[in-house]
Amino acid sequence: MSMTQHAEPAVTSPPAPGPKESDGRTVERPLALRLLARPEVGVFLGAAAVYVFFLIAAPPVRDGASMANILYSSSTIGIMALPVALLMIGGEFDLSAGVAVITSALTASMLSYQLTMNVWVGVIVALLVSLGIGFLNGWMVVKTGLPSFLVTLGSFLILQGVNLAVTKLVTGNVATDDISNMDGFGQARKVFATSFDIGGVDVKITIFYWLVFAAIATWVLLRTKYGNWIFAVGGNKDSARAVGVPVAFTKISLFMLVGFGAWFIGMHQLFTFNTVQSGEGVGQELIYISAAVIGGCLLTGGAGSAIGPVFGAFMFGMVQQGIVYAGWNPDWFKAFLGVMLLGAVLINLWVQRTATRR
Amino acid sequence: MASNESGTHGAILEDTAPSDADAPIVQLRNAGKSYGNVRALHGVDLAVRPGQVTCVLGDNGAGKSTLIKIISGLHQHTEGEFLVDGGAVHLTTPRQALDRGIATVYQDLAVVPLMPVWRNFFLGSEMTKGPWPFRRLDIEKMKKTADEELRNMGIVLDNLDQPIGTLSGGQRQCVAIARAVYFGARVLILDEPTAALGVKQSGVVLKYVAAARERGLGVIFITHNPHHAYMVGDHFSVLRLGTMELSAERSEITLEELTNHMAGGTELAALKHELSQVRGLDVDELPDEEALKAPVSASPEGTV
Amino acid sequence: MDRSTYSRSRRIAPIVAVAAAAALTLAGCSSSSGGKKSTEDSSGASAGKASTPRMTVALVTHQAPGDTFWDIVRKGAQAAAAKDNIKLVYSADPNAGNQSNLVQNAIDQKVDGIAVTLAKPDALKDVIAKAKTANIPVVGLNSGLSDWKKLGLLEFFGQDETVAGEALGKRLNSEGAKKAVCVIQEQGNIGLTQRCAGVKKTFTGTTEVLNVNGTDMPSVKSTITAKLTQDKAIDYVVTLGAPFAMTAVQSLADAGSKAKVATFDLNSTLTGAIKKGTVQFAVDQQPYLQGYLAVDSLWLYKNNGNYSGGGEQPVLTGPAFVDKTNVDAVAKYAANGTR
Repeated sequence: MSMTQHAEPAVTSPPAPGPKESDGRTVERPLALRLLARPEVGVFLGAAAVYVFFLIAAPPVRDGASMANILYSSSTIGIMALPVALLMIGGEFDLSAGVAVITSALTASMLSYQLTMNVWVGVIVALLVSLGIGFLNGWMVVKTGLPSFLVTLGSFLILQGVNLAVTKLVTGNVATDDISNMDGFGQARKVFATSFDIGGVDVKITIFYWLVFAAIATWVLLRTKYGNWIFAVGGNKDSARAVGVPVAFTKISLFMLVGFGAWFIGMHQLFTFNTVQSGEGVGQELIYISAAVIGGCLLTGGAGSAIGPVFGAFMFGMVQQGIVYAGWNPDWFKAFLGVMLLGAVLINLWVQRTATRR
Repeated sequence: MASNESGTHGAILEDTAPSDADAPIVQLRNAGKSYGNVRALHGVDLAVRPGQVTCVLGDNGAGKSTLIKIISGLHQHTEGEFLVDGGAVHLTTPRQALDRGIATVYQDLAVVPLMPVWRNFFLGSEMTKGPWPFRRLDIEKMKKTADEELRNMGIVLDNLDQPIGTLSGGQRQCVAIARAVYFGARVLILDEPTAALGVKQSGVVLKYVAAARERGLGVIFITHNPHHAYMVGDHFSVLRLGTMELSAERSEITLEELTNHMAGGTELAALKHELSQVRGLDVDELPDEEALKAPVSASPEGTV
Repeated sequence: MDRSTYSRSRRIAPIVAVAAAAALTLAGCSSSSGGKKSTEDSSGASAGKASTPRMTVALVTHQAPGDTFWDIVRKGAQAAAAKDNIKLVYSADPNAGNQSNLVQNAIDQKVDGIAVTLAKPDALKDVIAKAKTANIPVVGLNSGLSDWKKLGLLEFFGQDETVAGEALGKRLNSEGAKKAVCVIQEQGNIGLTQRCAGVKKTFTGTTEVLNVNGTDMPSVKSTITAKLTQDKAIDYVVTLGAPFAMTAVQSLADAGSKAKVATFDLNSTLTGAIKKGTVQFAVDQQPYLQGYLAVDSLWLYKNNGNYSGGGEQPVLTGPAFVDKTNVDAVAKYAANGTR
């Protein structure tokens, strides 16, 4: 029975609801619980717990100078943890971040020394080199589609080898030469490696840079278009591309930000310690990634913050120095470090679970 | 339809010459696509008119996704013509299609599950305020606009900050449709929106397809479910093995005919004849050859 | 098409101009002090080359990549190789199993002699026996003072890390120190652990060990500062590498501590610090000499059958203390990177 019908389509548009109508199915949880559910708050509480623990267990920590030392230790990790965290939110890893710091310092030092240049020339060239390495990492990841873990593992090994071999080739040693008596050294030291006297306590400038960078990173992440792109590119890069987000640009620029961070810390190291040991930096990349993950950045990308890694880096510095302040048996140093970090992360997790369960 | 405003909100549309309201916005004429020596699509004629829903049906492997990718700018056609507003185009990026008002809602939805609803709504076209370099997101405006637009489409969400992944499948689809409508889509391509949904949620989505049509959009509704298609469709095209096997207006075909065509059509009838020889099988309910009388598209390539 | 090339050249031109301007600016920024130009041309010890037939010697150590001490051992070895017309094949791995594989590698290459360090004698026992079966002479250097004879090595050059540590401990006693902290930059490294153990054995005061993360200098600085703050009774910081001594000097300032610094091994900045008095003394195991003698001894054995120590005694290369009284003599060589 085939009847031709000229029926109107069966479905028509629904009536629009009034402006004040609400769904009514979700009950708003109390503000306190909602705050606790945020990952940044969890890691803050974990860091606070660690701090209180050491305040009790290690009397020297109560001293202002000790806090300055702990914050300094945290800041050199924290400044690198920020771009590493942003990159992780964007869905990628950079395993070459640790040795890239040394590459930057070596470049600045060797260039200035070998060509007898004003040290600032070395600094600027080192910046270009670091940004270039970041660009290469990002470009390779984007172009090949390979996991960034693999690509940056390759660049990690290459940089590690190049650091050693080129230094030996150029200077004849495994460390760079003394540049402290060259033009511009004093100025550069003032920018990258100086300290201030605050209330009788010697506070290193990296602490301020760390906090300023963290504030900028948070603002960019949460309040700009670019920040939205970072979340999108890490959460689902195909969806992002489909709606017009420039995925390649975002990822490559994130890798270049890591390069910038490596340059900054490399310069700080160079102007603090004057000579650079070419074999250093190996293993630091895992510390940066840990600080980011402790700070709430998902390993799979798409979620995280810039504030969380600040507390993550603080936790790391606090535990590392706190163990010494507490005078515990140094043979167990690494084991203590691991136990405390796990403890802090578990507190973080428990807080989040409790806050979201009720 | 209670809508506060219409028009483009971010998509920049080219100035087109005035044409009659019934002219197709997007048209494919004898279009085809080959990947190397594999001919994925050939001889496809399709016209999308404003305020009409064109259903594209076909089984898996028929070439539906290739068809959408051509229209949405992901791939380029290798045969025939692809016309937008009457002019021939070769789109190379999704951005180009978006700029022309062709918006696609993909099966995997083109949303980022962990991001809040309002961020997803404005992804790629965020609203900003303030001078450079302090240009920041205009969050209040975006949340308000997203809320309004969703309500206009009939979706009410208590909390726009919740990650979009926490919404049900149907709600997510609707947010994606509302997004496309808001950003000035003139043609909306829906890639199997009801495929993974239950009955009730499918009904919700179909309502919003109709809402989009009411707002004057041309809709391409891709599905392999003829019942859903028949509920909203004005025109039906069936794809089979890379070409158009059927192209009919709503007035020319019934749901039963459509279903039969989708289910295998002539082959089923032949199968019925064969199966009737086998004892113990009841083939009475299966359609006969005479029942399959729906017109076939007049493409030079012919039918299967 | 024309428009795109035109616009491309328009985009490139300003970039090239900026790059050229930058290069010119940079070229003008030379430094008026320091740098390579100011250092005298010093090519180090050099001599003629022997006319004996070319031989190959493998030097296999337990160096960790980038280590300063071992780099100097290698330089000594290279100097001897250059003089004796020897092809030096250097390989190293801090992991004892891998080091043993490297020795096997040398045996397979049929080298004329092997010089090896015995950080973990048990791990190398078998492969050294294989070398002897293959008639390749094996000498030891640096580590293994108490094991080289047992393992059948021909001769031994060096001075154990333990002996060096003991010497430093005795020196601390003579300095009147009461409490020392021994800073280990790589926990688990045998040589470093032996040095601190040696110090602890002979030092009459208290010795504490501090583990620091040697791959991150700022962290080393913070940790030493923390230790000095935690234990105000420390009056001597003993470091196990010249760069770490320089960092310890900075930590002293940060912690406001009156402690003193002593170290193992030298480098060019360290000699300056000893001269100034910011570092008290350094133990010089003479790594250059260890490497040199090890390689040279194989040449002597091959060409004249000689072997030092007569199979009974080791050849000691240290410890030599470098302090304010004799630093001037050493400074020049340290600047070369050979002391």
